[in-house]
Amino acid sequence: MSAHPVRAEAVATPLLAARALTLAAAGRDLVRDLDWQVEPGQRWCVIGRNAAGKSTLLRALAGVSEVGVAQRGEVQWAGRAQRDWPAIDAAALRAFMPQQVVDRFPITVARLLELSVVRPLHDARTVLAALDLAPLALRPVLELSGGERQRVALAQAVLQGTPLLLLDEPVAFQDPAHQALVARCLSTSLRAEQALVISAHDVNWIARAATHVLALFPDGRCEQGTTRQLVEASVLERVYGCRWRDVGGVWVAD
Amino acid sequence: MPLSGTRLATLAAALAALTFAVIVAALVLGSAGWDPEMIRALRAPRVAAAAGVGALLALSGLAMQSLLRNPLADPYVLGTSGGAAVGALAALMFGVTITLGAAAGALAAGALLLWLARRALATTDDASPRLILAGAMLAALFGAMASLLLALTPDQRLRGAIFWLVGDLSGADDGGVSLMGAAALAAWFAWRARALDRLLLGSVAAHLLGEPVTRLRFELLLGASLAAALAVASAGAIGFVGLVIPHALRLAGVQRTRDLALLSPLGGAALVVAADLLARTVALPIELPVGAVMALIGAPVFVWFLARGGR
Repeated sequence: MSAHPVRAEAVATPLLAARALTLAAAGRDLVRDLDWQVEPGQRWCVIGRNAAGKSTLLRALAGVSEVGVAQRGEVQWAGRAQRDWPAIDAAALRAFMPQQVVDRFPITVARLLELSVVRPLHDARTVLAALDLAPLALRPVLELSGGERQRVALAQAVLQGTPLLLLDEPVAFQDPAHQALVARCLSTSLRAEQALVISAHDVNWIARAATHVLALFPDGRCEQGTTRQLVEASVLERVYGCRWRDVGGVWVAD
Repeated sequence: MPLSGTRLATLAAALAALTFAVIVAALVLGSAGWDPEMIRALRAPRVAAAAGVGALLALSGLAMQSLLRNPLADPYVLGTSGGAAVGALAALMFGVTITLGAAAGALAAGALLLWLARRALATTDDASPRLILAGAMLAALFGAMASLLLALTPDQRLRGAIFWLVGDLSGADDGGVSLMGAAALAAWFAWRARALDRLLLGSVAAHLLGEPVTRLRFELLLGASLAAALAVASAGAIGFVGLVIPHALRLAGVQRTRDLALLSPLGGAALVVAADLLARTVALPIELPVGAVMALIGAPVFVWFLARGGR
């Protein structure tokens, strides 16, 4: 199974698909009856309020089980049900960057990245440089700042070399310069056969980094479309529950 | 700072030289001084046993640290050695092989600890301090059970309470089984090194990278428990070796499981041989139990680690 099919199938079938997917936690539907698919080359952004279920959705899409979350419906990777994928094949198909990581042992950034490679698709040095991590390569991960550690986690996900990347808030701790850097890196270092699903809050950053948007509403309904269709005052107002203005091409919440 | 290949080789050579020097010192120093016949018949087996036990304990600590993803884990601190001691005592009472009883006790203690830690281990946020506390309570519980068993079996054949609860090398075997067990465990570590390095990133991260997390944990539990059981059956419950040695190596810049698995047994052997040399020479003509000497070294080091935030 591991050697041939991923790329061949990806041409015909979506890399990632949700079929009637419902995710419930604490007696509430976070996502209800989601039918959705991600094609190679697309960069999706999941938006929604705090606690809307963005992280829960991303974990479910990545195949990471979570205590207290009930799942109905199905997630498919390259046309095959997620649960039918052996762990070792799944590792070559999807990478997942969690919102936060806890390090316990002293290990350098370089060694961490070396351990994160499953398919040698990218050159580690290029990725390090693209994410402004080259000077940190020999630093122990325990000594990094929150923003630095987050960019290292992003580099880990990219270097895993998978067609599908799931990134939970990759720019939450980044300063404005590094937010722009991450957006640039995501659009340039991605190959045509790869696809991206990100969660993020900064609407202007999303408008720049994503091609498509999946909006989660507080009642569990979802709406999907291109970034141009969904990054729009009336949709944003329903997603976040506040008014939005377009000030010279920049979205501002009131 | 990580070590380059040459610096790692230098460290390995220095450690090997230190171990060799400590072993030679332990062979020639002692109450009776230089006596070839006594060295061959008495000191050599004891030094070999000390080296085997030290290597086993260092590897057992390394395995528990990987299993629980916690640099403070140690078979003595977390009750695995205590479980082995209780199992050995029970085996003595019922006339079963001591090593078998010790293995069963250590496995039971390890499984219990893993069960207590299951919530933390299933998520990315492992709760270290609580885990260490739970392990310390297990150790206290097994200590009490061992004391009770000792009180219930006033048998002349039983070695004393000090042996099972603190550790003592005066009645140890010749170390053959311990040394072979340590070699086997080190070889397993080296074979599994990359998967184990990934497991240290967390169970979720390791699973995402395709590693068989459950099977790795099972093998680690087996390795850590059996190593602790062999050590306890030979020398009683000696503490802190598994904590001090891997930690010192990590402080020196060794970060890969492969290198730690090859250097830890050397360090553990040197430490226990040196501690036993101290134990039998420092208060002549009285022999102190080596476990007490190790605890005098290890407990302050453990507290120092805790104060540094467990890193």
